[in-house]
Amino acid sequence: MVLFLALSLCASPPQAKAQTTKQSVDFFMGLDLNFKDIHFETQYDFLIRLTPGFKWDMGNHWQVSGQALVPIINQYGIEYSFFQISALNVSKEFNIKSLYLKATAGAFSHNRYGLDLKAFLPLCDWFAFEAQAGYVGFVFVSPYWEIVEPNRFVGTLGGDIYLSQWNTQFRGVIGKYLYDDLGCEVEAMRHFNHTTVSVYGTWSNKFGLDAGFRVVIMLPPYHRKHRAVNFRLASNWRMSYSMMVRDYTNKMYRTDPEQNERDGWFSRDLLLWGSHTMKPDFIIIDKTKKNETP
Amino acid sequence: MKHLSINIVVALMLLWLLPQTGKAQQYTGISGLVHVPSGEMNHEGDAFIGVHFLNKAMTPDTGFIYYGDGEKYHTFDYYVSLTPFSWLEMSYVCTERIYRKDAQGNVVNWSKDRYASIKIRPLKEGKYHPAVTIGGNDVLTAGYLPGHTDVQLYFCNFYAAATKHFTFGGNELGVTLCYRHYLRDYNAKWNGIVGGVTFRPAFFPQSRIIAEYTGNEFIMGLDMLLWQHLRLQGSVKDFKHFYGGLCLQFNLLGKKYDY
Repeated sequence: MVLFLALSLCASPPQAKAQTTKQSVDFFMGLDLNFKDIHFETQYDFLIRLTPGFKWDMGNHWQVSGQALVPIINQYGIEYSFFQISALNVSKEFNIKSLYLKATAGAFSHNRYGLDLKAFLPLCDWFAFEAQAGYVGFVFVSPYWEIVEPNRFVGTLGGDIYLSQWNTQFRGVIGKYLYDDLGCEVEAMRHFNHTTVSVYGTWSNKFGLDAGFRVVIMLPPYHRKHRAVNFRLASNWRMSYSMMVRDYTNKMYRTDPEQNERDGWFSRDLLLWGSHTMKPDFIIIDKTKKNETP
Repeated sequence: MKHLSINIVVALMLLWLLPQTGKAQQYTGISGLVHVPSGEMNHEGDAFIGVHFLNKAMTPDTGFIYYGDGEKYHTFDYYVSLTPFSWLEMSYVCTERIYRKDAQGNVVNWSKDRYASIKIRPLKEGKYHPAVTIGGNDVLTAGYLPGHTDVQLYFCNFYAAATKHFTFGGNELGVTLCYRHYLRDYNAKWNGIVGGVTFRPAFFPQSRIIAEYTGNEFIMGLDMLLWQHLRLQGSVKDFKHFYGGLCLQFNLLGKKYDY
């Protein structure tokens, strides 16, 4: 609470004030598709969950968000058969000159809760530093409550290179991850219209090498009306493929229900860097002005 | 004889179906002829997701046999591929393997041979010189080969290919020459100089007829692209064994191509 009182006293950047002071609530739902090929007796084991969620944009980049995971097909095991909370938190984005920060408190994905701080420092159009730090505990919601007090520091530190001519981004970080492993990861992303495809490689001191690819597809409709209350599909569908099927390698929680590698951590209207300099995926139709704004 | 006639009928049906036809597709999702790599590349932004039937006559002689009796079986693979840049193609392929059947003949043990393919074009086709590509299948696992004879490298090979196109009267003739090397000895029959020709008729430029020599057999094939998104390929080896597949194709940059 103290943290957020302090944050509220920070001066919001001009862009943020210009962006929105009008509140809105979005209700959305997507699909969480997981599959593993680890048994000879089956082709794949599937875990498919609905992801109903909401975002309450309170203006000036304050946001309350929540999301649940509702299993509809589960071949992963009994621990995945329950309704779960994957986000219920409050966040604030702001900047101090060219240092962009996002602070979040509450419940995150991977059954974690606690405090999280993300930082992004663009040095130029093509290079930026990034860092994330969290202090988290464990929480399991249903069918019984299990909660462990925050006892683990996690974090990553790295940099991003963005080549605007080819809409290509390279990301490299080292970190201490969710399952107490130390490791590093590199990723090369190619951003297309509404889609990002990447290949990545990871190393973890506990689990070794892994590699794979990711696909992030921004879901239509790409021209939207924006009202005080909105019902829509999730903004994106994201798939991450691990060649070694490592569930516990280089994992970090997600604080935003719609967090993805294409959009990054920060709102487009606050941080214009990387893929945010491309044509926006979603155009808001403003009927009163008879034009469209990103 | 019955197999021969059925396969010819299938090939003719594919030919007859040609409403719009496409470029090329291998069983790996990478552009090429049928079994032979080429110097051609897919368009920048092209993404494929597809499945391909693999006749047992075209699978490696090891790894795709029933446990116990050693008999080869037909199988299939499925893949995703992407051309992130005009000079780079990548794909990821899973080939179905059957380990074991029960007494009733039902498959009870499955697995997949998974590999990544990559293709790079260092030289774009010019007026007087061909396009040149280099690439390979199962490129990530290949590094494990020294000292690891148990590593599965059923489809692992490396190649350099050159393709030149000639246009006459709106028709297009493509000539491909390739040097290929498989790492495993049981695939040595496909090593060495391989190649083929393609013909894209002027009256139907989306189509492509393929004739190729793999180093061990002759293959005739046909590509087609339906409604700009559904790509089909059918082929016959030595006019006996059918080999073919289909895939969904999208251009992630939003561009539209006829082939």
